[in-house]
Amino acid sequence: MRTFEYVRPDGVPGALAAHAGDAATAFLAGGTTQLDLMKDGVLEPARLVDISRLPMRGSTTTGAALRVGALTTMEELATDPTVERRLPLVREALLLGASVQLRNMATIGGNLLQRTRCRYFRDPAVPACNKRAPGSGCAAVTGPARMHAILGVSERCIALHASDVAVALVALDAVVEIEGPGGARRVPLTEFYLEAGGRPEVEHTLEHGELITGVEIPLPPEGTRSGYLKVRDRVSYEFALTSAAVALLIEDGVVRDARIGLGGVGSTPWRPRAAEAVLSGAPATPEVFREAADAAVAGAWTVPGTEFKVELARRTLVRQLRTVAEVTR
Amino acid sequence: MSTAEDLPVLGAPVDRVDGPLKVTGQAPYPSDVDLPGQAHAALVQSTIAAGRITDLDTTEAEKAPGVLAVLTHHTVPRLPRGPMTSLGVSPPAPLQDDRIRHHGQHVALVVAESREQATAAARLVRVEYAPADPVLDFDDPRAVSVDDPWGLDSHRGDVDAGLASADVTVDAVYTTPDNTNNPLGLFSTLAAWEGERLTVYDATQWPAMVRETLAEVFGVPEVSVRVLSPFLGGGFGAGLRAWPHVILAVQAARDVGRPVKLVLTRPQMFTSVGHRPKGVQRVRLGATADATLVAIEHHSTSLLAVEDDDYEPFAAGSAVAYACPHVVTADRQVRANVPAPVSMRAPAHAQGNFALESAMDELACALDVDPLELRLRNHADVHPALGLPWSSNALRECYAVGAERFGWSRRPARPRSRRDGHWLVGQGMAGVSYPWYQAPSLARVTVTADGGATVASSGMDIGTGTYTVLTQLCAHLLGLPLEQVRSDLGDSDLPEAPQAGGSGLTSALGSAVADACERLLGALLELVRDDPESPLHGSDPEDVVAAGGGLRRRGDPGRGETYAAILARHGRPQLGADGASTPAQPTELGMALAGAFGAHFAEVRVDEDLGLVRVSRVTTVIDGGRILNEKTARSQVIGGVIGGIGMAVFEDTITDPTTGRIANATFGDYLVPVHADVPDLDVTFVGEPDRASALGVKGVGEVGLVGVAAAIANAVHHATGVRVRSLPITLDALL
Ligand SMILES: Cc1cc2nc3c(=O)[nH]c(=O)nc-3n(C[C@H](O)[C@H](O)[C@H](O)COP(=O)(O)OP(=O)(O)OC[C@H]3O[C@@H](n4cnc5c(N)ncnc54)[C@H](O)[C@@H]3O)c2cc1C
Ligand code: SF4
Repeated sequence: MRTFEYVRPDGVPGALAAHAGDAATAFLAGGTTQLDLMKDGVLEPARLVDISRLPMRGSTTTGAALRVGALTTMEELATDPTVERRLPLVREALLLGASVQLRNMATIGGNLLQRTRCRYFRDPAVPACNKRAPGSGCAAVTGPARMHAILGVSERCIALHASDVAVALVALDAVVEIEGPGGARRVPLTEFYLEAGGRPEVEHTLEHGELITGVEIPLPPEGTRSGYLKVRDRVSYEFALTSAAVALLIEDGVVRDARIGLGGVGSTPWRPRAAEAVLSGAPATPEVFREAADAAVAGAWTVPGTEFKVELARRTLVRQLRTVAEVTR
Repeated sequence: MSTAEDLPVLGAPVDRVDGPLKVTGQAPYPSDVDLPGQAHAALVQSTIAAGRITDLDTTEAEKAPGVLAVLTHHTVPRLPRGPMTSLGVSPPAPLQDDRIRHHGQHVALVVAESREQATAAARLVRVEYAPADPVLDFDDPRAVSVDDPWGLDSHRGDVDAGLASADVTVDAVYTTPDNTNNPLGLFSTLAAWEGERLTVYDATQWPAMVRETLAEVFGVPEVSVRVLSPFLGGGFGAGLRAWPHVILAVQAARDVGRPVKLVLTRPQMFTSVGHRPKGVQRVRLGATADATLVAIEHHSTSLLAVEDDDYEPFAAGSAVAYACPHVVTADRQVRANVPAPVSMRAPAHAQGNFALESAMDELACALDVDPLELRLRNHADVHPALGLPWSSNALRECYAVGAERFGWSRRPARPRSRRDGHWLVGQGMAGVSYPWYQAPSLARVTVTADGGATVASSGMDIGTGTYTVLTQLCAHLLGLPLEQVRSDLGDSDLPEAPQAGGSGLTSALGSAVADACERLLGALLELVRDDPESPLHGSDPEDVVAAGGGLRRRGDPGRGETYAAILARHGRPQLGADGASTPAQPTELGMALAGAFGAHFAEVRVDEDLGLVRVSRVTTVIDGGRILNEKTARSQVIGGVIGGIGMAVFEDTITDPTTGRIANATFGDYLVPVHADVPDLDVTFVGEPDRASALGVKGVGEVGLVGVAAAIANAVHHATGVRVRSLPITLDALL
């Protein structure tokens, strides 16, 4: 039987020391990604460092930002008073994710680092997967790939980053707080993820052995309206086919500040800055929203199974812009 | 003696008698059973769809901790294929040679001390293949096809002439994908040999068939094999065969000389225990301007495994669904390197009805008549092929009651005429004529010294409520309170009953139980009639009824005695009687044997921009003949409708077109409805007891599913004006 070592160190320094950047060691938080992949034989760490009881849980509002400990669960964050009041897009993205049982286990740090749902990645019996076995090819590009990405992808990998809340967080310019053997650092979430076009096996800029300790979410200006729309076949308990996190500050019918995140489409939680540029300073009208949506999906790279997502993502964004801006037909 | 006819209590919505066991976790589902000294097994499955195994190296696996044995085609003796059953051939015996016929075929079985050890060691089995190019779809020119596999193709009249005479025709092609049965309970087999005696706890819908199969495959007498399946976590048809993994678990138990338990994983459930096969159907309909059908032509092609059979006559039902002079139905199967399909709840009819009832909706649109009116005008007042009156048929009532409850008359005729914000709202309906099916059954009923009774049968309760209805039936026929009757089911040592399948078990087994009760009462009556000490001494049988826990004088309940008293005085610990039922013969009866009928009325909401489809309302009316238990029957229909919603808008087993690997073999990726997808379901029963069944019962296990997909597809068309002829109906088709 494949055995592994399990350790539960006290304190962040202990956790860092127990991991020590060892290639065969992995952190364990809620385990809803990590343990699944171990059961499926995709991940086979020799040592698990359980961080779930480290003092990195809970959130505090300081001035213009909400600081969230990495071990705060999805459900806890969704019911945080600041999130309820100021960050509807974060709250909705959380509550539309997974199931309540999973949300009670799953942590924010783990959520940001969740692995793709690509079924070829998750089945070691499939030989071709550049993400799992670099250089082996990609089984998904020629296969049925309805749940795959269209932005930030290439024929080397079309895997989706399936997190909902990360989509809202990139839109808000959240910052990831990291501690590692080399000390602490902060990375904007928009620079944290790496597109799959290059080396699909490298998904983010976190060094192996570094710990996410928290996430800082800048609060949008008072008066900002926001929300998250998740489009999927089932009403609940399913990853997004497409989604849109939108935060708009509109004054006198003119968009003063627009923040957009797109889900279900990107190899990373997608921030369509071109779409934001279209909106910024423009009147909040359906025509402008459509123009912004066109800009958001420009450069999409599709395979037969994902073609529909270009139009769906466009319509998802238009719908959510209208909803948040309260612009009806 | 009294008969079922005048027992008003039958039909009462009694709670499941096995409910407390289930909700307290005490019902022994197959994977819950453990035996002392048992070992655990894990499967290794092929990762190619066609070709040969060139090398199979088990060295590492054998050395892994806890491993007791690794079964491969090198170690397993030549085993015969199981027998022909009433549902067709048995699956090919496993691990007989190096040939690979589908992705996910079992290539080895690892047996170890623990499940974890077996699973880990299974990953260490190295298999080398010489892959061949698999045949995976209909259009592969190499594919072998089988025409009219069951001799059910039919024709009457002259379809071409009928179509030529039609004022309006419809000609359309409908496709349905592979669906996977996916019972929640993982299938499991626990096999134990004691010398030549074999006991198997198996996830089966048919213990008697598994016993017969294992006896034949392993060359032991049937009497020395016992198969138990008292509870099952769902089956939906997946439990109708003795699958290769069952044979392997039994072989492994023989090899290691210990009980062996094998529980499939969820991904293995997609390749090991069958699925509803995908199909392509072409339907041509012709009608005169007054909406009279003059031609129905229905051709189907469905996918089949290369060395197996599956009963799947998609089109056959169209021959008897409507009064129509010119009809052709024809079915064809194409062999491919896919896992074996199997009956999945309402096999063939689920798919065939989708095509026919969608086409009927298209015809109604083309004729500009109301879809309900079209069906009523072409209602089959007599059996369309036999010309005989139905043994029961309340389809008109299904339509009328359903339309009333649903508010069908308020439906605007034009598509795309109702909206609610960005939701387009549409309504559609479909009719269902489910076929009659019945197999012979035996049962035993015994009264015991405590005055209670037991029902015994090898038939099993797949979750439908068989325990409950048999208990109710026996209690009523013997005049006992429910608590004094127990049913023992799902044990092949007990009198043989057919499969829990084909919606036929309740009628077959129920009739056998009724027969046993009647014989038992006859035997009891003989005891008391000739017994001077009995208050019923000398009574005429006509004057005695079963009531109050014993036999009583009709009209004089004070005169009589309990079963306990009768047995005690005659020094008997118990008295039992065997009962039997045999299927009715239409020609003898001068009636066409009717299955259940039904009508579904569905409302959907479709997001105009995003294409999202949400089922907002379904009204279902079923003629199931006599309903033995209103509550369990309703649950069956509700479950069927939910299965139909799954089929309509979610379920799709996706096979990789080049490798033959199923790409979504998990519950995260294969979508079934969750609670939030299921609206309140309105279910009503109508109709009379069926005249051809001793109890008047027609099964309701499957009819609820059939027609839901068409009603929803028709509602989507009504909402949007878009006709979707391919299931599942997902937003991609509506953007
Ligand atoms: C059935 C199912 C449905 C789901 N549906 C959704 C959905 O709809 N939307 C959605 O957004 N998500 C969904 N998820 C994903 C879920 O949200 C993630 O699995 C979860 O958030 C991961 O958090 P965790 O604490 O369980 O992480 P773990 O599984 O413990 O860890 C995940 C990864 O992150 C690493 N890690 C964890 N914490 C840290 C840290 N602080 N520092 C450094 N490394 C760390 C681990 O080593 C591991 O590699 C679903 C998951 C499942 C199983
Ligand atoms: S899409 Fe990416 S993760 Fe999926 S098979 Fe291709 S390379 Fe692997």
